Amino acid sequence: MAVRIGRAETASHGTIEHAVILVEGGKIIEIGEDLPVERGIPILDRPDWVATPGFVNPYSRAGMDARAGKAATPQRSAAFELRPHQGVYDDMLEAGVTTLGLYPPGTGMPGQAIAIRTGKRRAEEALLKEGCYLKVTMGTTAQEKKDLIKAFESADKHEEKVQKEREKWEKDQEKKKKKKKKSKKDDDKMARLDDDEKGDDGFEPPAADPDVQPILDMRAGDLHALIRIQKASDLLHLLDVIEEEEGLSWSLRVPLRNDIDLFEVADKIGELDLRVVLDSRVTLEAGTRRERNLAAELTAAGAHVVLLPLSDSAQGHERWRMEVAHLVSLGLDREAALAAMTLEGAHVLGLEERLGSLDKEKDANIVFWNGDPFEPGTKIEAVMLDGRFATGDPQ
Amino acid sequence: MKSLKKLTTTLLFAWGFSLGFQAPLQAAPWDEEDDSEEAEASEEEEEEDRYLAIVGGDVYTGLGGVLRNVTILSKNGKIQAIEADPFLPEGTEKVDARGMRVYPGLVALSATNRISRGLFGSVELPEDHIDHEAEGEHHGHFYASLAQSHIEEVGQDQEDHFFDAQVDTDAVDSFDPYSQYLVLALATGITTAEQGSTALKLKRGEIEGVAMKDKHLTSVSFGSPASRRSTREKFERAAEYLREYRAWEDLNDKEAKEPSRKGVDGGTLNILLGRNLARFGANSRDELLGIARLAQRYGFRPVIVGCQEGWTVADELGRAGATAVVTPRSRRFKDEKLVRPGGTSIENAAILHAHGVQIAVTPSNTGFELSGITGRDLMHLPTEAGFAVRGGLTNEAALRAITIVPARILGIDHRVGSIEIGKDCDVILTDGDLLHYQTFVQYAVVDGKLVYDKEDEIFFAHIRPRPELPPLDPVQVEEEDEASEEPSEEEEEQDDEDEGDEDEEDEEEEGDEEDEKGDD
Repeated sequence: MAVRIGRAETASHGTIEHAVILVEGGKIIEIGEDLPVERGIPILDRPDWVATPGFVNPYSRAGMDARAGKAATPQRSAAFELRPHQGVYDDMLEAGVTTLGLYPPGTGMPGQAIAIRTGKRRAEEALLKEGCYLKVTMGTTAQEKKDLIKAFESADKHEEKVQKEREKWEKDQEKKKKKKKKSKKDDDKMARLDDDEKGDDGFEPPAADPDVQPILDMRAGDLHALIRIQKASDLLHLLDVIEEEEGLSWSLRVPLRNDIDLFEVADKIGELDLRVVLDSRVTLEAGTRRERNLAAELTAAGAHVVLLPLSDSAQGHERWRMEVAHLVSLGLDREAALAAMTLEGAHVLGLEERLGSLDKEKDANIVFWNGDPFEPGTKIEAVMLDGRFATGDPQ
Repeated sequence: MKSLKKLTTTLLFAWGFSLGFQAPLQAAPWDEEDDSEEAEASEEEEEEDRYLAIVGGDVYTGLGGVLRNVTILSKNGKIQAIEADPFLPEGTEKVDARGMRVYPGLVALSATNRISRGLFGSVELPEDHIDHEAEGEHHGHFYASLAQSHIEEVGQDQEDHFFDAQVDTDAVDSFDPYSQYLVLALATGITTAEQGSTALKLKRGEIEGVAMKDKHLTSVSFGSPASRRSTREKFERAAEYLREYRAWEDLNDKEAKEPSRKGVDGGTLNILLGRNLARFGANSRDELLGIARLAQRYGFRPVIVGCQEGWTVADELGRAGATAVVTPRSRRFKDEKLVRPGGTSIENAAILHAHGVQIAVTPSNTGFELSGITGRDLMHLPTEAGFAVRGGLTNEAALRAITIVPARILGIDHRVGSIEIGKDCDVILTDGDLLHYQTFVQYAVVDGKLVYDKEDEIFFAHIRPRPELPPLDPVQVEEEDEASEEPSEEEEEQDDEDEGDEDEEDEEEEGDEEDEKGDD
């Protein structure tokens, strides 16, 4: 099917006027200005509509019971508590949110986040991806820094163990061409690792503890980390711990309290080319009424900003675009703002290849508006999820 | 609980034996070097040399001398020259000290963790807003368990740190170099603070090299008769052990049995070996006399916090080589049953000092409080020292009481506490006598970096703004002429010039463009 609309804001490559979006099999197969549409393809002609990608909130606990304390369970997935039969995800869809990242509760290293489609009533249908990122918290106390150091040390120990086993195995191998005596089976990631290792000589490293494995994956760059910090200085302490770790792929989550001092490290975050997950709000300089638009400042410093709604409820997600619009009115780049609600969030979830922008080959998650989405009067006309009109079906 | 702690201690000792005492001719376990400083120095060599000059101030060295109209040149954070007109290498950052006094950075004893932690005005850090509601009830437990673990750690520290030379990382790992309280500390002139058991350098914007010295003090209890007895026993046992050990060492006989360290208190041993200072908390004459005699008997120099009736036994304390940490504005009533003198005296510090007791001053509240009675917290450390002067202490001794003497107590007097060549360039610039109530700290420099400029911070900039002086460097006069007419922007220009870096100048030009846009 083809949708011919007034304007498409792609979030990845600017705005296309008089856009035509061709959708087939749940994917966008073509998007461009005034594309010719082959005969026989049904055309939906809505010249006053504006299309944006479906919104992506990568950091949510919506619809989940979130009681937890401090945890060191990096292997746990948030999937086990997913109960999508509640209406909350339907409401999200109505608000234009098509993808949600759900994180496990707790501080420390409480587990791995999942990504879901909204508007689905069954967990299997909703689930997009598991193991999106490992949630890690830093700050509040010195203890959390120590815990993080400890986690990496446990990974070090395991790697040493693997190294030793390997040397032993190589010696054995020289002596006799016998197969190694113990070969424990582990989860699929380990198995894949095994395959890599086997690729050159058939050595099978010992299995890691389930709570060490995610750290190893993180170190190998296979598992993204979303690290929550509380204030500017936490970043310095965090870097103190992980600066030596080279393969690490990580983003920052910073809850914005009123007088947060994150601007002190804006340049550093920009230098590190980090993705920062922020709340859509203006903050104040400590002890003053001087407003700071951290989203704009960080974007200007070269960081990638991801914006979250202020409230995690369905209503909160409805208000979300107005909160972001406020930041835009105070100087946040408009394109960065749209990306902050879509593509950048998809990056955090590791789904940037699949969704988050209006591009060829991507999932057809599209929100159709009757005007500029950052204007107060604008309403959603329809939401397309995986190529189907989930709400406001024009037929 | 207590017995468990003791057991752990004993176990630690046992472990220590097996490590340190196996080879009898090895270096004794206390012959240990503090190499943190060297490590730091070698790290800095890799970078380009960093110069900062504090030009044209009256330098109060903190050693008795005042050097009028001289320049302090710092290289990579260390003072390299104090001269009238030293050669300034290219790219030297300049701080205009003309008309100002330059003092060593102040050293605050037992500061609360406010000084380097927490967001401004907050009591406790909040949790993530989304987690907050749902997880609220569980946090109580989380913090409680944290507090518990902290108590356990501290308990162990006090009992035994003989083999544990590691830095207590709690204060260091939560050091917030962006804290607004830290700015207040610098505004007071404090550049070093003791927090927990660690001496911290109040660096701004960086956390490297913040820890200066850890666990230099061993607290000794001497309050109740029971604790006095146990303290005496500990000292006796430790002294005995040391005698035995030395004798055994001199014997140099592999067959001879090494003396047992069983029951020897590690902290006490450290005191006797001079590795640690003993810190007592005592105010009454009796306690003070007891401490003085204990110190003389076992040959160590006590640090006595409080020392309110010290003036009545000043001679004894002087002979014992004591250091008194006093709060000149504290009050204690005389015991009216007794004929002999007692209670507090405003002359306490002066009398103690006259008898050879080193004086350190600390205010009655060692936090940074925006509530309560003003003038009693660390924001008024120099004022507190000023009250000692009111009681007869010399200006000179009062300055030492908040610089070199506390530095000595913390074991960092080789790095901070006075302005000397080779020491860390931690200095403050004031617009008058430091001990005068009207004086403001105008600049603070830590490790050769300008970290506080009164005009740049929100706290005191508007009170008696700094008068404008003709620029230091005549070349920069032209630049200033170009500056736009708005006063606030002129100030920015001025600051940029103070920093005087080449890179900064580029930024300045960019800043100008922005300014012009703003004018449109």
